[in-house]
Formats: sequence, structure tokens, C-alpha cells
Amino acid sequence: MSDKQTQGHIGLTTEPLDVGEIARRVVPPNCGAIVTLDGFVRQFTKGRETQYLVYEAYEPMALKEMRKLIDRAHEQFQIEHVAIVHRLGKLEIGETSVVIAVAAPHRRAAFEACEWLIKELKRTVPIWKKEVYADGEVWVEGEQGATPEDNSA
Amino acid sequence: MKITTLFFGATADAVGDRVIEIELPAGATAGEAVAAVVERFPALAKQSLLFAVNQEYVGRENRVGDGDELAIFTAVSGG
Repeated sequence: MSDKQTQGHIGLTTEPLDVGEIARRVVPPNCGAIVTLDGFVRQFTKGRETQYLVYEAYEPMALKEMRKLIDRAHEQFQIEHVAIVHRLGKLEIGETSVVIAVAAPHRRAAFEACEWLIKELKRTVPIWKKEVYADGEVWVEGEQGATPEDNSA
Repeated sequence: MKITTLFFGATADAVGDRVIEIELPAGATAGEAVAAVVERFPALAKQSLLFAVNQEYVGRENRVGDGDELAIFTAVSGG
């Protein structure tokens, strides 16, 4: 992949995620920093105890949206490489659900791009989580935000 | 014309199915297609819905064509 716009790795998997391995998949020689987000399953949300989570995706569209995020991140930030991998299926407390790793020549752009990428992922990538409690379960609804404006029915 | 409709998460639970085929008049818009599905599965009316056609977010006025894939879902919650 010689085009800078395509410097990225995306994935969806039901297998456990290895954060360090994903972060180190590509480290361009002109880079000096990788910022990595390790998003994992929280035990308590607003005081209520979660037993486990189930993630589901509209897989082909989720991969397309992840690819678009990487292209947009390259347009906005001085970064060299991005990896985004999201886990699907049943996840126990503490297991990693999403890894976003951004390599850049300098750390500031990597921090900013990583924060932007997780915010946009939660808004646009078609993945849903079900929280399962001792006494019930619920599909979590994110903030309405997917484009375009007149989409919501 | 016929389109394939996909459901995920909360909408799959509401419909009790993940994939259905629906018949629509030629020239129907995405908004009209979603309305037809909601009419057939009234449980969806309680949900705040988003949709995509052929794996892209589109506006309500976008036309759908024979064989298109319409996905209907609630606000995404990955991460």
C-alpha cells in the first residue's frame, strides 16, 4: 500500500484482541509515537452491574465505515498509520472490545486522531452492544448521529 | 420490485427475524421502504430508527432499486 490514504488496518473478530500486537503491526520508520486505545468491558455502568456484553455488527458496512474513518483521519491529522479492530460476540468483564492504534511522527497528532477516531466510531460504525445484567438485558442505544441528517426514520 | 431488509440488535429482536424480503412499488424511496417495513412490524414504531441502503447511510428521499439491501437499526453503540 503506497498511497498514504490507505495506510490502515481494520478488522472484526470474535477472537480475543492482543492490544500490543495490533499496535505494532506497522510502525513506519519516520514515526516516534503510537497512541493506543484499549476499550474494555466495564463492570459497573451508572451503578448497575454488567455480567457480560454481546457485540453484533453489520459486518460489511462496519468495515466500510471503519475504512472511511481512517481515510478521514489521514486528511485531518499528521499521522502515518492507523489500526482499528473491534471484537464481536460475547465478552466478559475486562476483556478488550476495541483497539485503536495511531502511529505518527509526533505524539500530539496521534493523541488527537485516536480521540477523534473512537468518537466517530461510536457515532457511525454499525456495531451494537447488548448489556446483560443479573435481572435482564438491553441493547444499548448510542447517540443519534449517523449521517446524513435526514436519515432517522 | 423486491428488496432485502436486514435487522440487527434491537430491531432484530423487535421483528423476530434478521432478514426479510419486501415488495415495493417501483420508484419507492428509502423513507417509503422503511415506512412499509414499520407498518408490517409495528414493534419497530417504538424505536428510533436509522437505515442504510447497500451499506451506505442515505437520506429518506433516496430511491431504492430492485434487489437493493436495506438495513434498519437503532443508533449504533460500538466501542
